[in-house]
Amino acid sequence: MSSRRRPSLGLDRFSGLYLWALFVAVFAIWVPHLFLTAGTVHSVAAQQAIAAIVAIAVLVPLAGGTYDLSVGATVNFATIMVTVLQSNHSWSMWPAIIATVLLCALIGAVNGLIVVVGRVNSFIATLGSASVIAAFQAITAGQAQPLPPTSTAWSALTQREVLGFQIIVFYMLAIAVVVWWGLARTPAGRYLYAVGGNAEAARLSGVRTGRWTWLALTTSATLCGVAGVFYASLSGPSLTFGGALLLPAFAAVFLGSTQLTPGHVNVWGTLIALYALATGIKGLQLVTGVQWLPDMFNGLALLSAVSFAVWRQQGRGRRRPRPARDTTDEEASGREQPGAARPQELSLNQ
Amino acid sequence: MGPRLSAGATDSAARGIPGGRAPALEVSGLRMAFGPTVALDDVALTVERGQVHALLGENGSGKSTLIKILAGYHRPDPGGRVLVAGRALSFGNPVNAASLGCRFVHQDLGLVDTLSVAENLFLTSGFPARWGTIRWARLLRAARDDLARVGLDLDPRQPVAGLSPAVRTGLAVARALRPGAGNVALLVLDEPTATLPDDEVRQLLATVRAAAATGAGVLYVTHHLDEVFDIADVATVLRDGRVVASSAVPDLTRTRLVNQLLGSELDEAHASSQALPPPRANAVLRVHDLAAGQLRSLSLQVRAGELVGIAGLTGSGRESALAAVFGAVHPEGGDVLVDSTPLRPGHPRRAIDAGVAYLPADRKAHGGIMSLPAAANLTLPDLRALWRPPMLRLGAERVEARSWFSRLDVRPAGAVHLPLAALSGGNQQKVLLAKWLRCRPRVLLLDEPTQGVDIGAKAQIHQRIVAAADDGAAVVVSSADVDELVALCHRVVVLRGGHAVADLSGPALSVPAVNRAALAAER
Ligand SMILES: Nc1ncnc2c1ncn2[C@@H]1O[C@H](COP(=O)(O)OP(=O)(O)OP(=O)(O)O)[C@@H](O)[C@H]1O
Ligand SMILES: [Mg+2]
Repeated sequence: MSSRRRPSLGLDRFSGLYLWALFVAVFAIWVPHLFLTAGTVHSVAAQQAIAAIVAIAVLVPLAGGTYDLSVGATVNFATIMVTVLQSNHSWSMWPAIIATVLLCALIGAVNGLIVVVGRVNSFIATLGSASVIAAFQAITAGQAQPLPPTSTAWSALTQREVLGFQIIVFYMLAIAVVVWWGLARTPAGRYLYAVGGNAEAARLSGVRTGRWTWLALTTSATLCGVAGVFYASLSGPSLTFGGALLLPAFAAVFLGSTQLTPGHVNVWGTLIALYALATGIKGLQLVTGVQWLPDMFNGLALLSAVSFAVWRQQGRGRRRPRPARDTTDEEASGREQPGAARPQELSLNQ
Repeated sequence: MGPRLSAGATDSAARGIPGGRAPALEVSGLRMAFGPTVALDDVALTVERGQVHALLGENGSGKSTLIKILAGYHRPDPGGRVLVAGRALSFGNPVNAASLGCRFVHQDLGLVDTLSVAENLFLTSGFPARWGTIRWARLLRAARDDLARVGLDLDPRQPVAGLSPAVRTGLAVARALRPGAGNVALLVLDEPTATLPDDEVRQLLATVRAAAATGAGVLYVTHHLDEVFDIADVATVLRDGRVVASSAVPDLTRTRLVNQLLGSELDEAHASSQALPPPRANAVLRVHDLAAGQLRSLSLQVRAGELVGIAGLTGSGRESALAAVFGAVHPEGGDVLVDSTPLRPGHPRRAIDAGVAYLPADRKAHGGIMSLPAAANLTLPDLRALWRPPMLRLGAERVEARSWFSRLDVRPAGAVHLPLAALSGGNQQKVLLAKWLRCRPRVLLLDEPTQGVDIGAKAQIHQRIVAAADDGAAVVVSSADVDELVALCHRVVVLRGGHAVADLSGPALSVPAVNRAALAAER
């Protein structure tokens, strides 16, 4: 028996896909000559590839109930670092890339130690480390924005075209496949979701909760390092863009957790959410050309994703065997004392 | 269907409870399906004022679903109707349920560990305040009254975190019965006694009786039939979501009730007449002078194939004993050896690798991961057999989970992919037991192994535990249910005041003997 496979659930679990199709249809009719072009497809795909990698970086620790708010700062740091090493210190490309990614992995390892060994709430720990990383970035860069490296190999790293797409799109897809595999098809992923579901029960079942949390934060920062390197190659160094990555990444992950395997953050749901939003934003930009659209769209998306999840937990929990992250309406005796503390987010306890 | 009430009930109705003489609860035509599972089917039920109405049924028969509908957490399929003291309940609305006078003591109680006793008491009804500032003196005074009402002697400023399950249950009842929270028309208790020792059960029943005497209707869910005869006026039995019988308790016999529950005869004697195989010579588990929490000193040797019970009242140290042996908590002293190798506390993974399995008493907080599928919960401690790099064999996992489901009769049988939260309480318990049996442990530590499990399944679980011992496991069972211990174990160690005060076996092992040792001379 599988209530999951009931057809009526499709709308629910695949709403992101439908929404995406809707966006495409609307703008295809509205502004066909602008929207329905290969150029639009290619540019949306490439522009969002970095955001997608960052979203995946957010997702990994979130599967284990840990927030990484330092992703934006880490990406930005990597961008500056990889550029400075090449432009100011004349390193060649690969050593610079490897050193940068390793440094970012180190950042993640430190984040992990603070959270696991220091037992600092991940929200606070990574908020604090984000600020420290930003300071290191300023130290690295000096006062000025570094000049981008001039080698063609450097820009070809991400901009080479394959099947009409910039190659970064394929890098992103490769990362997505690997992370999906790690989370959905290995014991490590199973342990991470277990920690996210109930850390104490996971520990008593023999899951080394600290190890997996640490590893998740390290993975997250490493992915951010990769994203930063790609960004530098794709768009050149920027001192400030990192901060703008945080919110869309969380929006995509939260929205994505309502998709495919509802209640669990997951890779493909996240990508669907991210690209559905990006398509909507792109279409509207083609129509109106205003600058504030992404902020508005992403913010509303985050709010509606979380409200949607809460609403579903309360009102429609029964439509579907809800994988209750939220302990409130589980089992038999749900602990529903009205007014008792009720996690209002997706109950991804940190 | 309403059988007649006890005299007391009629009295209290006559005393002019608001809402006229309408029954405390009237349910009719209630239906609810979760996908293909019909949890409730055309259920009708009436709880009169002043009546204690027992709601019985096997695991997964729909009891908790009914209660969750009353509490406003599930919306039933259209067509059903619920009246509380004559007023219609609007579905899916917890606030409405509370304002109609429904009070709930859920199985997991809904206490917030980080808050104090007093804060928990006022959590649902709002704090006494003046200009937004909590009036602590008044709050503490009211809290003391509330606790006294249910016979609890507790410091209201104490945090809830350290309290034993029994005291927590009492606290949840005290909160449900707070007068400040408005008139109580209906008190609902979902398996409040699943892990309570006898004397605390008596205390709780007295409180429930007192609540009924004030004119409230009481809906009482339990798997313990003794309690039904002790306290209930009427007993309604659910099977597969349908009401199969509703009878006045004085007209019932235990046998008839069991028949109604199971639809067949249960050989209850079966559970207690196991021919236990004699344990083998070598001690697998050795515990020396272990101290943790209220446990001062426990020494214990358990041989392969031996079933040892641990009995003790609340506060005797029994609650922390197995957690300390496993190393789930850091003991204050003593050591634990498995096959003469010391077990480092605080390292569950190493304990498991050394062949120790520990089923915690608190199913939700420590036992299961409610958001993960039942199959994933089952396989979590040992994924080696399923990990064939580069892929976890999900198909094989499902097959294995199905076979465990059928071995322990977990229902619905195909629910291996559902989140654990979607199984009924008793079925969750079976899954968590299966999770440890699957590891084929050398030492099996079971804390309240049959909590929330129905009478049919209990015998079945006992057989499984005996079979594990038969396979050479050293088994330690800690339970508030002395009958269970005496029926199941070779030997029962009784704790009192943190120390082992008796070690009963053979002819000396009997329920009265255990109770005597647990109580003796202390008060
Ligand atoms: N959220 C859910 N999704 C899917 N099925 C559910 C859900 N909640 C309950 N069920 C199913 O509904 C049926 C009734 O469950 P319920 O919890 O009411 O049983 P119960 O009588 O309380 O049993 P127990 O004595 O074990 O606590 C079970 O088959 C259960 O699997
Ligand atoms: Mg139940």
